[in-house]
Amino acid sequence: MSIVTVQLGQCGNQIGFEVFDALFSDSHCPQKFCSKRENEAYQASCKERFFSEEEDGVPVARAVLVDMEPKVINQTLSKAAHSGRWKYGQHSHLCQKQGSGNNWAYGYSVHGPRHEESIMNLIQKEVEKCDSLSGFFIVMSMAGGTGSGLGAFLTQNLQDQYSNSLKMNQIIWPYGTGEVIVQNYNSILTLSHLYRSSDALLVHENDAVHKICAKLMNIKQISFRDINQVLAHQLGSVFQPTYSGEGSFHYRRNPLGDLMEDLVPHPEFKMLGVRNIPQMSENSLAYSTFTWAGLLKHLRQMLISNAKMEEGIDWQVRPPLSGLPTLGKMPLSKELHFNTSIANLVILRGKDVHSADLGAFKDPALYTSWLEPVTAFNVWKTQRAFSKYEKSAALVSNSQSLVKPLDMIVGKAWNMFASKAYLHQYTKFGIEEEDFLDGFALLEQVIASYSNL
Amino acid sequence: MGRRRRRRVDPADAARALPEAIAVLTRTLPTGPSPETFRRAKFDRPEAAPALWRLLFCVLSPMPADGASPSLALEAQARSVKAALRFQGYPRRALAQLPDDGSQGGRELLLALAWLLARGPTLEQLLAQSRVRLGDEMPVCECESLASPGPAVPSVEADGCVDTRHLQWLMGKLRFRWRKLMASQQEQCALLGKIHSYTRGCHSDRSLGHLSVTETELLRDPEGGQQDTVLGACPPEASQPAFLPEIPAQGAAELELVVRELQALQEELQAAVEPRRAAWEARVGGHGPEWSASRRALQEAVRQDLVALQWAWERGGGLTQPHEPHRLVRTEAGAPEGRGLQATEVIEVLRSREACLEVVLGQLQGQCQQELARLVGTLPGLIWIPPPGR
Repeated sequence: MSIVTVQLGQCGNQIGFEVFDALFSDSHCPQKFCSKRENEAYQASCKERFFSEEEDGVPVARAVLVDMEPKVINQTLSKAAHSGRWKYGQHSHLCQKQGSGNNWAYGYSVHGPRHEESIMNLIQKEVEKCDSLSGFFIVMSMAGGTGSGLGAFLTQNLQDQYSNSLKMNQIIWPYGTGEVIVQNYNSILTLSHLYRSSDALLVHENDAVHKICAKLMNIKQISFRDINQVLAHQLGSVFQPTYSGEGSFHYRRNPLGDLMEDLVPHPEFKMLGVRNIPQMSENSLAYSTFTWAGLLKHLRQMLISNAKMEEGIDWQVRPPLSGLPTLGKMPLSKELHFNTSIANLVILRGKDVHSADLGAFKDPALYTSWLEPVTAFNVWKTQRAFSKYEKSAALVSNSQSLVKPLDMIVGKAWNMFASKAYLHQYTKFGIEEEDFLDGFALLEQVIASYSNL
Repeated sequence: MGRRRRRRVDPADAARALPEAIAVLTRTLPTGPSPETFRRAKFDRPEAAPALWRLLFCVLSPMPADGASPSLALEAQARSVKAALRFQGYPRRALAQLPDDGSQGGRELLLALAWLLARGPTLEQLLAQSRVRLGDEMPVCECESLASPGPAVPSVEADGCVDTRHLQWLMGKLRFRWRKLMASQQEQCALLGKIHSYTRGCHSDRSLGHLSVTETELLRDPEGGQQDTVLGACPPEASQPAFLPEIPAQGAAELELVVRELQALQEELQAAVEPRRAAWEARVGGHGPEWSASRRALQEAVRQDLVALQWAWERGGGLTQPHEPHRLVRTEAGAPEGRGLQATEVIEVLRSREACLEVVLGQLQGQCQQELARLVGTLPGLIWIPPPGR
């Protein structure tokens, strides 16, 4: 089953390119421990999901590119075309001549309705190319102008027009010390709108990925390209094919649907994060060997201590003693040391994957009281390694890890809102104080729900 | 009880045809006894009896598709065979008098087998069970799924608190599964459509016109993995469409049983209802115009409900075709209507059923809301904020 990706704005388009590139590279990566037949099935599955075929045999990404400026889209299109390995569809993009100056309201109220028909037509064309549609990825920044306002508008439209299809927004969480003054306003509006119309919000934090680049990949001058590549690697390791069950030899047909059913069935809990292990530069890869036990031990600790990478993990954090229910709301002033999960999905790829022992992830202490580990914890496996990593594990979790960042953003935005700073930019284009208040209320509710696990 | 006049068959021909017939039967029948066993049974040799008992057991009790029924002891099988033959109206008492341990009776059993084969579509049923289905099958009725008990209801502890969040989680999971199901059914339809249109004109049977998935696979890879099918052994009418067996006589016997049970139940209920109704009326009391008016209103409402139900049932149950799955065939627009059900008819019926169910769902939801509101009213200090409507 296929996924159609909508790439929005500079951020969305640059990341989208890296994602397709990572998927393609991985599926054509020479494999040492995998039979030819299995590798072919893997490639076919990846291809059907993310690419369609044109007459000249070059795979075409199932994507629609949207930006209000032409520069980034043109760069993206030509980068793909020049690689010769895959490309974007000739007519799968929409760009305008003018920008929107990081104005969320302009993106939502002006660009959105103005280009609604054209964009939905492009999407419809992509959908028609699929034998069956699993759902949509919408890649966008949370705090920018075009990407975020337009993205919120589009996601609502997709909800109306493709109500049975699944929607996952890949959201780029801005740097805490971002440059845009109104980025917190934008974030509030984006998140509150998406929470209503999307099925899942997979959050990628710029700060976290930046640290991975610096500490793990040893990159001196970190560019956006480096960040995007790490991000793409994470996404690829989640959505590339996996077996549909223990002992099965078929690749699962609808990973997006399975993921959503496992992680986000509750309407109040839609925020997901992804962690990956190991992450390192390719040079170091050749000199490292890993065991499943080691990888999983680190991954588990990363989860419960809310670390985003395998270096600098706080090993002091332990699960609370079982039998003590967490009653009442935990005041946020108290440090949330332990990251309680609602549900987790671990994805294992590589050699001897069947020998991996996941018992530690099934500990009820990791999870909230109203879900048992048998429901809350899921694992996907495949023997086929990902990219050049002989063994790798990814963890997608619905947990408290985003509560603190979210609370910070809400706090800062509220302070600004209380003094009515910069509101005219929004009210000028139809986003009233009411809308802000709605957004605050919804996000406070989300924070409360997650804190109350 | 006169003997039916048959065409006179030359005994010599019959004698020659018999070994061939036995050989085919051996291959066809489940647990097919060897021709030698048949021969010994004819001479009533005791060593043939168990095999024949087992054979008749398989023939008389329909096997589930995956052959998962537990194997019974010979004695149990023998008793079952006797009972089944009795239900079918098998006349020979000699069989009923055979010992239950299955040690004797080869000849009687042969006679019974012949009787079964001659009188009903037994052989066709057996073939239908064990052959590969060539067509792309589409179920037409929901009888099987309605009759199945469904998954076990998770037990709730007596005074256990249920966390609403858990319920919401489950509800959400159900919704996602529904959407996944829709998507995969769409996928199946899209792929079937592709195969049907690509193989247009390839089928030897003109009324079908195109190949099914199974037939395409067989053509692509004749050796691969398909078990040696009965059809493969049969003469080349193999391109016939799905064979729809008639309602078996066995079904009639079971139906008979069910009817009798229902009648008994109805009598029981009637006997129980009368005193209860009397007691209720005594309790409720009330005479006079207001009471009888409201009572008439109630009766009228019930009558209308019943009429609506009946109408819906008759409309929805309009499909008079048998309940077996049908083969999916795609025809060109403007082509003459083929035999069998038209997709538009089925869609029409399903839509009307859907409409009825939606009405019922709305009523039930309304009742739930009222009940919730009532319950909430009984709890002091609780404010009920229903979720915003979609």
